Amino acid sequence: MTDYGHDLRFGTFITPSAQGARRAVELAEASDRAGLDLVTFQDHPYQASFLDTSTLLAYVAARTERVHLSANVASLPLRPPAVLARAAASLDVLSGGRFELGIGAGAFWDGIAAMGGRRLTPGQGVDALREGIAIIRDLWDVDAPGRVSHHGRYYDVAGAKRGPRPAHDIGVRVGAYKPRMLALTGEVGDGWLPSLEYLDRGVASLDPSNTRIDDAALAAGRSPRDVRRLLNFMRVELSPVSRGLLSGPPEQWVDDLAALALDHGMSAFLVAGDDPVVAERLGAEIAPAVRELVARERGARESGAGESGASTTAA
Amino acid sequence: MTIEIGIRIEPAADAADLAAVAEARGLDLVVVGARRDVDHAPLDPWTTAAWLAGRTARIAVGVDEPARAPRGAAFGLRDEAPDPRDAERPIASVIGRAHDSLDVLAPSRLLGAGAPSTAGAGGGGRADAASPPPWRTAPAGATLDDLTALAADGVPVVVPADTPADVERIAALAEELRGLAPSRPSRSAAARARRAAGIDYDGVPESLMDAAVEPGDAAYRSVSSTYLRGGAPGLVLRPRTVDEVADALAFARRHPDLALGIRSGGHGISGRSTSRGGLVIDVGRMNTIEVLDRERRLVRIGPGATWKQVAAALHPFGWALGSGDYGGVGVGGLATAGGIGLLSRQHGLTIDHLRAVELVLADGRSVRASADEHPDLFWAVRGAGANFGIATAFEFEVDEVDDVGWAKLALVTPDLEGSLLDFGRIASTAARDTTAFLVTGRPQEGQSVIQLFAIVDDADPEVVVERLTPFTGVGVLAQQEAAVVPYRDVMAQAADVGPDGHRGFGEPVSRSAFLPVLTPEFAADAAALLETGLVHFFELRTMGGAIADVASDAMAFPHRSPAFQVTAMGADAAALTAGWDGLRHHFDGLYLSFETDRSPERLLDAFPEPVLGRLRALKRRYDPENRFRDNFNIDPTVAAASVGSHETRWEAAS
Repeated sequence: MTDYGHDLRFGTFITPSAQGARRAVELAEASDRAGLDLVTFQDHPYQASFLDTSTLLAYVAARTERVHLSANVASLPLRPPAVLARAAASLDVLSGGRFELGIGAGAFWDGIAAMGGRRLTPGQGVDALREGIAIIRDLWDVDAPGRVSHHGRYYDVAGAKRGPRPAHDIGVRVGAYKPRMLALTGEVGDGWLPSLEYLDRGVASLDPSNTRIDDAALAAGRSPRDVRRLLNFMRVELSPVSRGLLSGPPEQWVDDLAALALDHGMSAFLVAGDDPVVAERLGAEIAPAVRELVARERGARESGAGESGASTTAA
Repeated sequence: MTIEIGIRIEPAADAADLAAVAEARGLDLVVVGARRDVDHAPLDPWTTAAWLAGRTARIAVGVDEPARAPRGAAFGLRDEAPDPRDAERPIASVIGRAHDSLDVLAPSRLLGAGAPSTAGAGGGGRADAASPPPWRTAPAGATLDDLTALAADGVPVVVPADTPADVERIAALAEELRGLAPSRPSRSAAARARRAAGIDYDGVPESLMDAAVEPGDAAYRSVSSTYLRGGAPGLVLRPRTVDEVADALAFARRHPDLALGIRSGGHGISGRSTSRGGLVIDVGRMNTIEVLDRERRLVRIGPGATWKQVAAALHPFGWALGSGDYGGVGVGGLATAGGIGLLSRQHGLTIDHLRAVELVLADGRSVRASADEHPDLFWAVRGAGANFGIATAFEFEVDEVDDVGWAKLALVTPDLEGSLLDFGRIASTAARDTTAFLVTGRPQEGQSVIQLFAIVDDADPEVVVERLTPFTGVGVLAQQEAAVVPYRDVMAQAADVGPDGHRGFGEPVSRSAFLPVLTPEFAADAAALLETGLVHFFELRTMGGAIADVASDAMAFPHRSPAFQVTAMGADAAALTAGWDGLRHHFDGLYLSFETDRSPERLLDAFPEPVLGRLRALKRRYDPENRFRDNFNIDPTVAAASVGSHETRWEAAS
């Protein structure tokens, strides 16, 4: 289906384990050294064995040089929007524009309630997320006049100071699976960030989901290209034998990733597994090869399109 | 007096530069605080603090966040219900997690994280929302006199700094100020802020000072929890010599109300050996193993050695000393309680090999107990040692043990009751050279998986196979591993304690009992209990053989005749007790090492009369103030009348 033409990004999806805190930090540092583009951590504040993701992100940002960082994805019910906006903008300033915002409506409601969060139905969660993103964007918009007020069904802001001003245009990437979340992503998101293993039909779910996002974007007067398509892989493996998607030798990874980019519009790939060797090879070998292959294919398609256009004109 | 000086900075893009200068110039702390009188919201102070911690290596970091939620009001403690509609107010429990996380990432550098909570859960600190920050803020441009006055009582002082030049100026003042002060502090304000209430930290004996671990120390996480139990002790003393143990006990005597845990390897299930806010005396570093007399196979072992180390050290001599079934356990706790292990049917309990023990008594005296010296104490230590002192050395007569047959079998059975009964018959009538333990859990979909661990004390493979064969009929054999190996290799299968120490959490729930004989009724009741799912770990340790050769009054461990020792572990204490009560009529007594129920009546199960009366009388003599009450406490102040006439007789006789 559509290739949205985005440049390609590669990164890691690291377990923020408290017991393996040193390893998590080292893996992020290794990702940075390996030339990867993005380091991400899942955010489950009710999970006692995990570190606080916001704190980990700030700490890791301080110990890396060029890699971008993001929650994958921040749990809005436990990260109130203004708090999240300010933490994100702060880290963006401190890191020199290296922070991106991954955000989700919330899941695991028992855990959220146990932490003192609000229990919502999935439908309410979508609406709350829509409000939350609006508030976040308003707080970042320091050039707009006056303070921020927002009296919504789920969130209330009465004259909040704007700011701090982010160092760059922070992308808002939404973790979405169901139709309403996909529509919201198309309407207001800068990115879609699902995990392959949670998609109903795996790769086969990508095209119909993209279509929902595209339709919603167009209906909102945006371009489908405004929404980058990212993808998490929970189970990956470098192995001599091919056993499936991203489970096989590096050459197979290159083909798999290029196909996801060219045929399904995906343009950022985040691998879990907490394996420094995988991070290393993804950055050193696989990413350059995928970029090259995709550039070649895109070039061929463009010139192909040009020729066919020319022939149409001639006809 | 301690003088600590630092800087207070705004959360801004150059915050890390200022902090780096402060660290390089030897300042002690950096506090992030935001001015509120600006047009736009400032950078988030917490995010800035975490960033600073990542950019620096040593300097303590504090956050001034007065307008925000109560700092760290988390760790299981509910603060007032947050308004979920308030987009600007963080959720307190998430902030608590954030504080704890920074403490994990940058150990002991977060200021004001608070002393360990005695009520809360989790390994981190909790700040009292109402308590002031553990520093004072001087006015910008403060002079030497200002700082001298503010730092007079040892509270750290921060001076606002906006530029590297400000930091340089403050560092110069700090140097000058320290030149006037007699000494540098041994612990930072960040560390001292975490001290627990009621402990005289500054009074820790000189000899123990270097190795003492407080909640604010980098090593704290490695000593706070034990194998199955989470803890947050207020202070851990780690003596290396007998004199240091006495010093540690003297310190404990000055804190009579403080929980006192004695730790060797940190496995103790019933022995607490950690606490929240209490004192732990950890003898883990007293771990020497030496041969005293080759002819008599007499060895001397420190309480902090593990059984894995003991097995490895004895192997070159062709010797072994039976312990439990896991090499990671420390010598001290087990060798004062019993030691029902995989060599026991052939060689008896661990305590049966004890020839002498040296211990420091509650009054600080060091004594040696053996058949000839303090024989009454020697009797008591073998079964109730935790009540009488801190063992500093054990002398054991060990056994000649050639390679042993070692088997791990996994068997599947749809008939747990029948399998238990079969195992009971086979294991308890096996030759003395064969000791087998059974472990199982909740049946799944009508099937139970039974694991058997067995040692045959015979190096001849044919004998080993002959002994083990009957056990393979206890279920359908799903996995088997059997080999002739040194006993050392059996014990070596235990994990070493990692650099972070034990990682237990919560509070274990375990029940223990002695089973005189495994009857069909017991098998039915045990299978029914397992079916409920209340028990996730169920073990039968086969006894008999050499264990039963010793007279029941020979030592404070009187349980010589049971066929099995039974352990059940679960998650919910009340539910497990209810289930266990249904089995009680099968039992006679309990093995204290695996029992977490602290009800007074359990004491009589562990020490049936006349043992308890005799122990109580000895306790009155050796520990009248009940210093050693960590594990199956024999309270010396309980009136004689309430424990019957045995005691009176004993006292009259002794």
